[in-house]
Amino acid sequence: MTTYLYEQDLVPQKYRILVAMRHDRLVQQISLELDIPVQELRRYLIGHLDMIQLENLPARAEMAEDHADKGDAVARALGREKYTVYLRILPGAAMDAIFSEVTTRVHAGASMEDAVAYGRIQIREALKP
Amino acid sequence: MNILQRIKNAVRSRSIHVAYVDVGSCNGCDIEVLACLAPRYDIEQYGIYVHNNPREADVLLVIGAYTPGWEEKLAMVWEKIPAPKAAITIGNCPISGCLFDRKGSFVDPPVKKHIPIAAEVPGCPPRPTEILQAILSVRDTVFANWEEEHP
Amino acid sequence: MKRIVDVNIPLGPIHPCFKEPIRLKCEAKGERIIGAEVELGYMKKGIERIMKGRPWQEVMFLAERVCGICSVIHNMVFIEAMEQISDIAVPPRAAYLRVIANELDRMQSHLLANFSYCYTIEHETLAMYLLDLREQVMDELELLTGARVTCAYIIPGGVRCDIPVTEAEALPASLDRMESDLCRYAGMFECGPMIALRSRGVGILTLEAAERAHVVGPTARASGIAVDCRQHHPTYRKLGFVPITRPDCDNFARVMLRFDELFQSIGIIRKCLQELPKGVVRGGGVCKAGEIRYSGEAPRGELTYFIKSDEFGRIVEIQIQTPSIMNIEACCHEMIIGSDSIADVTATFVSADPCIACTER
Repeated sequence: MTTYLYEQDLVPQKYRILVAMRHDRLVQQISLELDIPVQELRRYLIGHLDMIQLENLPARAEMAEDHADKGDAVARALGREKYTVYLRILPGAAMDAIFSEVTTRVHAGASMEDAVAYGRIQIREALKP
Repeated sequence: MNILQRIKNAVRSRSIHVAYVDVGSCNGCDIEVLACLAPRYDIEQYGIYVHNNPREADVLLVIGAYTPGWEEKLAMVWEKIPAPKAAITIGNCPISGCLFDRKGSFVDPPVKKHIPIAAEVPGCPPRPTEILQAILSVRDTVFANWEEEHP
Repeated sequence: MKRIVDVNIPLGPIHPCFKEPIRLKCEAKGERIIGAEVELGYMKKGIERIMKGRPWQEVMFLAERVCGICSVIHNMVFIEAMEQISDIAVPPRAAYLRVIANELDRMQSHLLANFSYCYTIEHETLAMYLLDLREQVMDELELLTGARVTCAYIIPGGVRCDIPVTEAEALPASLDRMESDLCRYAGMFECGPMIALRSRGVGILTLEAAERAHVVGPTARASGIAVDCRQHHPTYRKLGFVPITRPDCDNFARVMLRFDELFQSIGIIRKCLQELPKGVVRGGGVCKAGEIRYSGEAPRGELTYFIKSDEFGRIVEIQIQTPSIMNIEACCHEMIIGSDSIADVTATFVSADPCIACTER
């Protein structure tokens, strides 16, 4: 890690961005979807995204609603592009691994819900700080 | 007044370097400071140069109502300016917080609490001519005979 | 032996090129930028928190002070959102006067943005020409509304005052003068070989990346996305508005697009003055309870207000999504990545017309 001169603790300021009306709704929604406690998700977001990305989360989520994961049902259920390309919460490689694992499970005969639920657990593990 | 002081006065009256720092305004005063650069107001005909570099500045224009991001940093910028120096606040925000100083906001006016201020230009936003006049009047009152008054 | 080291270059918060405080921590490999982190928080005033629980009469002035550069559009979008909530009709003359004020505001904002870009690439002559032209636009705005910045011209059910007769007569002539000047300046920018070296092919924002980041305004239109909220505005539709796009995606396209839009704005104002209907400019009305999402086209792009009000016209919940949020994000995480030179970072950043006061509110 790089240490900068004149550095100040940005956590309170980032938290203020995240508790605005639309940001708060989005964070609640993601935490419900992935079954992560809200504060834990907030801590992860504060740790991994910079301030302008936090500000832009609702707009990107809106674009993800309209455009992300058009083709694949499993990808849509997992939010493959939504979490990597659009919201940029997860690194692409981690998501690809989870996605390929889930698709093999689906091809092996597991039901869609079970496979996606398994995938979400994996995402939750990846989001652990 | 000795000859050296007289030379310094003469030189300083035609060479004022300005840095501006925005500590949380709405941008309105910011662009009025920029408008001073326009050929209509022509700030450089008075020998005032806007460099925005604190280390070579004489006058610091402070705009805005002092947000938490500037704690420590504004004082640091002020320390970096070599003496003789003066700070001028532009607009209502640094004086009273204007309409941002309400319950629930993050601002902490006045700026006077944090660094010494030589002049204040009220207005929301003030006209470029008023900003220009403030810089010129500070030049005459603060920088003239500075060495003799601060031995 | 040549050795390439990773360098971290923090730019700002006080920087000669940035008009407002923002901190960009650029990670460079040699001269090539491979990553950037943005640090905000220098302008966070908490306007949305102040707005909550206040009547619209107070929030109107607060909304205007979200951004001093594009204050007319903030005023307009907030008031039009309140009008939509409360079913207040606008007299046709007032609707046209709103468009004139808005387009004058857009002109001064675009001129300021292009001034900043020219100043950043050190073409000071052109920058000063543009700033001088901006003063003329500011004069017209002052004659129309009574103030240079934060004029609170637009009120529910109309506008504050009618256009003065002398101003209505003098405006077309001064528009002609501005257009001929602007023609020259746009030509200077378009044909300058040194400007092209600094601008063409620098700061590429591809169509896909622009769509992902929800880029709006001139930045999006310079990447070939034809988004413009003015297409959906009733008065602009009457005036036959069509958005301009450019396919080049670089700094040059963004600045040239703003020049194109300046000519377009002049055309819109001219058409407004020709078709200006007779009648009253203040209809009146009462603000009521409701919830709405309303967008308008600011000089920098789509500006959205999410408002919930109660039956006395007080604001219960509000969030403002300003265009600069999306544009700065795309700028810092898409455009400047892969720049060949650190010197291009500031130019690229300024070409997206960032407004930090908007971004942080």
